[in-house]
Amino acid sequence: MSIASDLIRGHTDTIILACLMGGDNYGYEINKSIQQKTGGRYELKEATLYTAFRRLEQAGYISSYWGDEQTGARRRYYSITDSGQGAYRTLIAEWQNAKNMIEQLIQLEENE
Amino acid sequence: MMEDKLRRYVESLFEETKPTRKAVELKEEMLQNLNDKYGDLLNEGKTPEAAFNIAIAGIGDVSTLLQQLEEGFLSDPELERHEKARRKSAMLTAAAVMLYILSVLPILILDGLDIGLASLLGVPLFIIMVASATGLLVYNSMTKPKPVREADTMIEEFKEWQSETQEYKQMRRAISSALWTLIVVLYFVISFTTGAWHVSWIIFVVGGLVESLINVFVAMRKNRGK
Repeated sequence: MSIASDLIRGHTDTIILACLMGGDNYGYEINKSIQQKTGGRYELKEATLYTAFRRLEQAGYISSYWGDEQTGARRRYYSITDSGQGAYRTLIAEWQNAKNMIEQLIQLEENE
Repeated sequence: MMEDKLRRYVESLFEETKPTRKAVELKEEMLQNLNDKYGDLLNEGKTPEAAFNIAIAGIGDVSTLLQQLEEGFLSDPELERHEKARRKSAMLTAAAVMLYILSVLPILILDGLDIGLASLLGVPLFIIMVASATGLLVYNSMTKPKPVREADTMIEEFKEWQSETQEYKQMRRAISSALWTLIVVLYFVISFTTGAWHVSWIIFVVGGLVESLINVFVAMRKNRGK
């Protein structure tokens, strides 16, 4: 589990961008969807999540706005920008590349 | 109430952080998300205490996050540009002061040579040097960049407003002092060369008029800039 956690943490930006590719969302929903997709085995710390939001916003990959909920407090929504979508595709390509390489490196060759 | 307890907990996390707009927004965002999480946990059948503890445990280490807020995310190129502009401004001021000091030199030297060139060449040179020094000062105060806004607080905005007013006053003072130096010099030059002492005082009246016109012009420019 610790290897998985470390690996996932290294891809926090990609995960958030992937989540926002499906539409604008706010912090807790994003974290909840991560939790649900991993069957409750992984959840980001909120500090990690907010740090990533600020970093992505600074890079211009996402933008934020305050929602106008009628009841209760307002939520801060994030949406992915055009350059963020480009970054997402680059990150995915990089990950595919890395995944293939790691698989090649750690699998035993069968015809030995 | 547990919601109050959540608020108090988040407030305590931000105790040491400057209440900038970014910090306050982050605090609200965190609190809102924590409240959502807390509500969900209650719906799952957790006790209020357990829900509170799980919600708090999910925050993690905020020290890096808050530190980044304090730093204000001021990007490097922005700082560099500011530093460059500051150096340019210092150079211009130094050059202007040097010109002011050197401006009396032609008169002194030519007067010392005692070949009657003092008023013919020395005074025009003096005026040219004073004028260019003043030009430098005015140009400097008009192109000087605004102080970099470190944080979006009311205090910073007030400071910026204050410095804007100060800059404006400084510029007016620079123009005014240079103008009156010029007027006095002109008065003597004209009076000595033409001997028309009985009318040459009018130059002071004209000077006052010119100053008011400059003030109006500067104020108009300032308003248009807004």
